[in-house]
Amino acid sequence: MSSATVQRRAVVIEDDDDIRGLLAVVLRQLDFDVVEAADGLSGVESVRETQPELVTLDVNMPGIDGIEACRRLREFSDAYIVMLSARTAELDRLAGLDTGADDYLTKPFSPKELQARVRALFRRSRPAPAPAEDQRVSDENTRAAAVQQSLLPGEKLRLQEFDVAGAFRPTRSVGGDFYDWYQTPDGMHLTFADAMGKGMGAALIAATVRAVMRSVADSPDIADAFASASTTITSDLDQSGSFVTMFHARLDSASGRLSYIDAGHGLALHVPAAGPARRLVSAGPPVGILEDQQWAAADLQLEPGDSLVIVSDGVLDAHDSLEAFMHNVEKAARGGGTSEDVCAALLELAPAATAEDDVTAVVVRRTASTTTDGALLH
Amino acid sequence: MQFSYEVKDSYAEVKGVGRLNMVAAPKLREVVAEVVAGGSSRVVVNLAETDFMDSSGLGALIGCLKAARQAGGDLRIAGVQPQVKMVLELTNMDRVLTAYPSAEEAFGND
Repeated sequence: MSSATVQRRAVVIEDDDDIRGLLAVVLRQLDFDVVEAADGLSGVESVRETQPELVTLDVNMPGIDGIEACRRLREFSDAYIVMLSARTAELDRLAGLDTGADDYLTKPFSPKELQARVRALFRRSRPAPAPAEDQRVSDENTRAAAVQQSLLPGEKLRLQEFDVAGAFRPTRSVGGDFYDWYQTPDGMHLTFADAMGKGMGAALIAATVRAVMRSVADSPDIADAFASASTTITSDLDQSGSFVTMFHARLDSASGRLSYIDAGHGLALHVPAAGPARRLVSAGPPVGILEDQQWAAADLQLEPGDSLVIVSDGVLDAHDSLEAFMHNVEKAARGGGTSEDVCAALLELAPAATAEDDVTAVVVRRTASTTTDGALLH
Repeated sequence: MQFSYEVKDSYAEVKGVGRLNMVAAPKLREVVAEVVAGGSSRVVVNLAETDFMDSSGLGALIGCLKAARQAGGDLRIAGVQPQVKMVLELTNMDRVLTAYPSAEEAFGND
């Protein structure tokens, strides 16, 4: 599935064996996955099956000619179509007609010229679908993005002394990041997870993980809850060959005590009001890799002014070293403002233009004490 | 990313040069599937020239590990570079995917 989003496809429709082979070679040099067809009818079928982004079409072929083939293609395909003919005069005439082709090229053509024309076509913007992605993939990504978006918590938490915020920026190809939280009588439960993979598969795994984690909310002990949830998730993941990194925590808001389990995530930081930031070490590998895996719970005391910061690996990947990553995350956490402001600063650490992965951040900050009428106590 | 493999006496060595990311991950799976299907279920992935790995790449390694174990063998890694080592440590996967200094040493003792 992921390869479909990066591999462009082309169909070469051409009755001359040598020219067809040459066209295929030239397009493969541009990283197209090429399907060849020796006549108009089979060419139209190939386009229907492979849904390419580019079609080259010979004008003079036995059976249906290039003009008729082009008309049929335009009934269902949005691909760029380049028509080729040996007769310059004919191309001039075709160019004046509304054939549905995007460009015309005379045979014999130079490979460099064809490549230049193709590059030029793909530089032109076409409203929809995105040229490097066929409609099926972009539709699926739209649905997967909707699933992923729906996993984020809708409810605002109302916790005395705590400011909790999350932010999420998906990539075009949709990954498996999500975070979830909900209020409990004592405080809140928080889950931050990244399902390996892209597209609908990753989004559906993320949806399952969220539901399973919510189903164990009533279990009084976090380690028991996590063990039960991870067993269910592991058996679900067995089918897909995927895995999930997770950070799960329960906060007792009156005391500021946070119990947590880190399963292969490793990117949660405690940024205390005073003293250096510390990374919360993972208690075991991600969920879904080994059966009968155990993860130990650990405790963290959040004092007024302390923050817990959790980010996804998209932020780490934007840094050269763990030290640089820690430095920048701590700096963002201490940058001031609300937890929402800090989340925005954390997303900025992985600029949208270069990030290959989803980028997600959650900040749990213990604020100064407040009285019942909301005035700050100092 | 470019992959190549070589079948040796007691194991097969798969080499990857470049960045093991979302684009390269399916290729690694294909290459290892081919190696295992060819009868070599003891696989060493030589990462000496792999300078970057993200979660998709890690996922591919895990998938390959599962495939090798299902075929009665194992998958080990060798020549791990600093960024890859960091990802393995952060995710605690260094306990599951054992790293060896070289491909020769990966199946050296068994």
